[in-house]
Amino acid sequence: MEALYATTTGLLAACGVYLTLRGRTFPVVVGLTLLSYSVNLFLFSMGGLAMHGNPAVVGAGTPAADPLPQALVLTAIVIGFAMTAFVVILAMRARGDLGSDHVNGNRLDVSREDGK
Amino acid sequence: MLDIALWISIALFAASLMLNVFRLAIGPDLPDRILAVDTMYVNSIALIVLFGIQLNSKAYFEAALLIAMLGFVSTVAVCKYLLRGDIIE
Amino acid sequence: MTLLLIVLLPLLGALVPLMARNLPRGRLAWLTAVAPAIALGIAVFHLGDVFAGQTPQFHLPWISELGLDLALRFDGLSALFVLLILGIGLLIILYSRYYLSGEDSLARLYSFLMLFMTAMIGIVMADNLLLMWVFWELTSLTSFLLIGYWYQLSEARKGARMALTVTGAGGLALLAGILVIGHIVGSYQFDDVLAAADQIRSSELYPVVLVLVLLGAFTKSAQFPFQFWLPHAMSAPTPVSAFLHSATMVKAGVFLLARMHPILSGTDLWFYIVSFTGLATLLYGAWFALMKQDLKGVLAFSTISHLGLITLLFGFNSQMAAVAGLLHIINHATFKASLFMAAGIVDHECGTRDIRKLNGLYRYMPHTTILAMVASASMAGVPLLNGFLSKEMFFAESLDAQLLGGLSWLIPALATLGGILSVAYSLRFIHDVFFNGEPKDLPKTPHEPPRYMKLPIEILVLICLLVGILPSLVIKDLLVSASASVLAGPVPEFSLAIWHGFNVPLMMSGIALAGGVGVYALRHHLYSFQRQFRARNALLVFEANIQRLVNLAERSMDSFENGSLQRYMLWLLLTALLFVGIGLLAVPQLSGEFEQQPFDAMLLTGAVITGLAGLGTAITHRKRIVSLLMLSVVGLMTSLAFARFAAPDLALTQLAVEVVTMILLMLALFFLPQRTPKESSARRIMRDVLLASAFGVVIASLNFAILTRPVESISDFFMANAVSGGGGHNVVNVILVDFRGFDTLGEITVLGIAGLAIFKLLNRLRLFMPSSDLDGRSWSPDRHPMILATVSQTLLPLALLVSVYIFLRGHNEPGGGFIAGLVTAVAIILLYIARGVDWTQRWLRFPYQPVAAAGVLIAGLTGAGSWMFGYPFLTSSFGHFTIPVIGEIELATALLFDLGVYLTVVGATLMILANLGKLTTPHRPTKEKS
Repeated sequence: MEALYATTTGLLAACGVYLTLRGRTFPVVVGLTLLSYSVNLFLFSMGGLAMHGNPAVVGAGTPAADPLPQALVLTAIVIGFAMTAFVVILAMRARGDLGSDHVNGNRLDVSREDGK
Repeated sequence: MLDIALWISIALFAASLMLNVFRLAIGPDLPDRILAVDTMYVNSIALIVLFGIQLNSKAYFEAALLIAMLGFVSTVAVCKYLLRGDIIE
Repeated sequence: MTLLLIVLLPLLGALVPLMARNLPRGRLAWLTAVAPAIALGIAVFHLGDVFAGQTPQFHLPWISELGLDLALRFDGLSALFVLLILGIGLLIILYSRYYLSGEDSLARLYSFLMLFMTAMIGIVMADNLLLMWVFWELTSLTSFLLIGYWYQLSEARKGARMALTVTGAGGLALLAGILVIGHIVGSYQFDDVLAAADQIRSSELYPVVLVLVLLGAFTKSAQFPFQFWLPHAMSAPTPVSAFLHSATMVKAGVFLLARMHPILSGTDLWFYIVSFTGLATLLYGAWFALMKQDLKGVLAFSTISHLGLITLLFGFNSQMAAVAGLLHIINHATFKASLFMAAGIVDHECGTRDIRKLNGLYRYMPHTTILAMVASASMAGVPLLNGFLSKEMFFAESLDAQLLGGLSWLIPALATLGGILSVAYSLRFIHDVFFNGEPKDLPKTPHEPPRYMKLPIEILVLICLLVGILPSLVIKDLLVSASASVLAGPVPEFSLAIWHGFNVPLMMSGIALAGGVGVYALRHHLYSFQRQFRARNALLVFEANIQRLVNLAERSMDSFENGSLQRYMLWLLLTALLFVGIGLLAVPQLSGEFEQQPFDAMLLTGAVITGLAGLGTAITHRKRIVSLLMLSVVGLMTSLAFARFAAPDLALTQLAVEVVTMILLMLALFFLPQRTPKESSARRIMRDVLLASAFGVVIASLNFAILTRPVESISDFFMANAVSGGGGHNVVNVILVDFRGFDTLGEITVLGIAGLAIFKLLNRLRLFMPSSDLDGRSWSPDRHPMILATVSQTLLPLALLVSVYIFLRGHNEPGGGFIAGLVTAVAIILLYIARGVDWTQRWLRFPYQPVAAAGVLIAGLTGAGSWMFGYPFLTSSFGHFTIPVIGEIELATALLFDLGVYLTVVGATLMILANLGKLTTPHRPTKEKS
């Protein structure tokens, strides 16, 4: 199980990293989101995988899942959303002000497929 | 008895999820894909409920409830995008 | 305690001139002088103890963890320097009052002077090496202010900057040296270090320590090759130069040599480095002092030369030489301060410092001339003056230096050469300026300066004479006690007499005097010889070097920072890979001691779907909307995974966030290109795939390695204390709102700020809107389909009910403010989607910014509320209440905090999404309609 979980996390991370290496804003944002899923899964598993565990609720029975990584990841998810929103709107702003959604250093949108 | 029934249903829903993914991958059109994702939401609800039955726990029913509700919103948003492009206007 | 006053009084004194700056200048000067005068009185009061061989000390723990304490000592060496600093400082205060013209702020100069004085006294009295370093850097900073006093002059600014750069850099080297000493000794207290002197000298780090400490000393004392900053520091007002270059600043360097003498000296390495540097500086300074045409330039280079002499004496590794060095510190301070002040008078009265124009001033200012003559004679080493004593001792010591073997005779020979040059430039200072014909076109007609402007010079010249004639009576006690602290042991017997009989040193003095007169007579030939060399302006060289450094930095920055995010990501990923990869390589075996748990078909299916969807997101990324759909599947599967591994809170949060993210990205996608054109070359794609795979492999290995190893979690504490301490059964929620409530408060603040920032970013945003969809079909004309609108409206109360339910039970069952807030936000967004912005805003009139702000405020106030009951911030309190009909319920202040979280999440999420949605409506937040 652990190997399966780790492989999935690694695969998601790889896909996320590949997307963040693209030269346009939108794939980068999607890549960051994917990467953050992977990171959240990674962090979540720091307390071990509770295959037959109960939720971290007092009285729900033992063994209970580790609540600490859960609390951390919970806020990470929400903050991750805020940051995704910020980045994507930065991307829109960049397109609006610079006329390009490139992040590869090219200022001019040479191959703009939809006109102004 | 219940165990066997549970396992059979879980296997069936898992298979249907795989089929959904297949449809999502091949498309060919956007509506096909949207339908695939929407069906995935439905199948996930079933899986979660079955899992809850298996564990004899109520804790997961809210998750099913939320998937039902939020999955709907998600599908609506994609459909709106398909129709109008701008989902909030 | 009184020791502390010696340091503190000048510091407080720095405020006096600022507060009294509107007073007449005379009274300002007197008021400013009060604090240092008292400090001097205290110092003199302690002198008796010092002469009796005691060392008053003061110790106040400060940052003991770092070994930094406020520790002061007042041994002989400190006493000598404190007397010089405060004594000459007082004279400078008097002198400046007359020197500075009415346009310049005397109060500012005084304030800087006092600060500088504090720093200097701090250096010489510090009993802790780190403390000494702090003051050392303070002198660099305050001297920057003093040298750059006339900040309107470019020369002054550049000179100040150069002095700061050189001495500041030396200070850093000194800090490194001190840290290494601390590493060897284990303490920075001077007494401890002194006791461990042998340990330091025999340590293999000794050369490192020595070089670093000497770098500090040599830069400060303008030793060759760091001498170049000192002449340019002459753009300071003359009183500042007189103070900095006689008794203080540059003397800090030789003070350091003296302070470190018992610790670091006595080795061959010390001899070679220190004495050769000193010798080179002595000759270099003396030669250029003879060549300069600027009156202060002559003094500047003669200062360099004399500092070289003192350094050379400390470098000899002999006890008597150290005594001679100390004596010369006193003598140089007295005659050089008076010469600078005399030069200042000449400058002040004649309006120029060019020696070629200044001639025959004797007739205009006979009194000043005589004072300058006596001081110069002392500098030249004429008998009956204090300079003669130390020069005689210097010659005697140069004869004793034997470390050069057969070439040892070179040292006395070169010393005599230095003496000859010193006589020549002293003679030149007098003869060229005060005699030798008539002044040529001076800007002003010179006359004697005000009475009290000469008083400081008179006092100093008197000291020169007294020390020169009655050395044993005047200076012996001070010198012996200072020597005792420099030698850290018995002081050799010496006699401070003018007449030792006919001996070699006397002969060398004679040669120096006669030779100096000869060199001076032949000076014009030397000038024409010097003119063959290209004159290099150290300032220009320095500035050019700085510029070159800046260019280099810019070039290397540009090669990294080329504006391409891909490049930055590449570096970032490679670095991460490198470090984690090294760590993984060091692990002997990837799998730990845990047996893997078995997995079933359901889990396998989940993993396969997640992986496929992730791959699909990456593969279809050029069709952006398809990629987005794939991403939403990944999000769904992630939340199912959370549910499967017993984390219902996470599953709920992930679900809600996933939907909100989808909506957000689709909103944004509308304004961005719908497809990504194919741009990357095959090689680039290959590279990225390889890099991403490597990264994925590292993450997977890391995750696997951690999962198969035991964890020591601190969660048991939270599990055990959730009910008793936080009043809740859902430990995740209790951690969020209680145990780690402060973190959560920070997080919702970030959320609110992100919402606000997005709101600002959307302001005045101009965007292009596509008129057709991906395949070129025009948009459907039905903006708000009826069925959708009706269903959404029905869903709203249902969703709100669910969110209230999730919120309220959150403390005991899975749920809580975050999830409830997201659900509410989604429900309202659905209304926006189905009914449009106009309709929704008509019916739901609540402003999102205030809601988000109120959320943060409520959470913050809840936390602050516990202060009122005398508990720390964010202490939760709870109680059980019995309400009729409903029964017993539990109310905790954490619920109030969670309400803050809820409101912030709702407010911030809607602020982001609704504002983004508004872009295309007449309500768009732009101020211009375009």
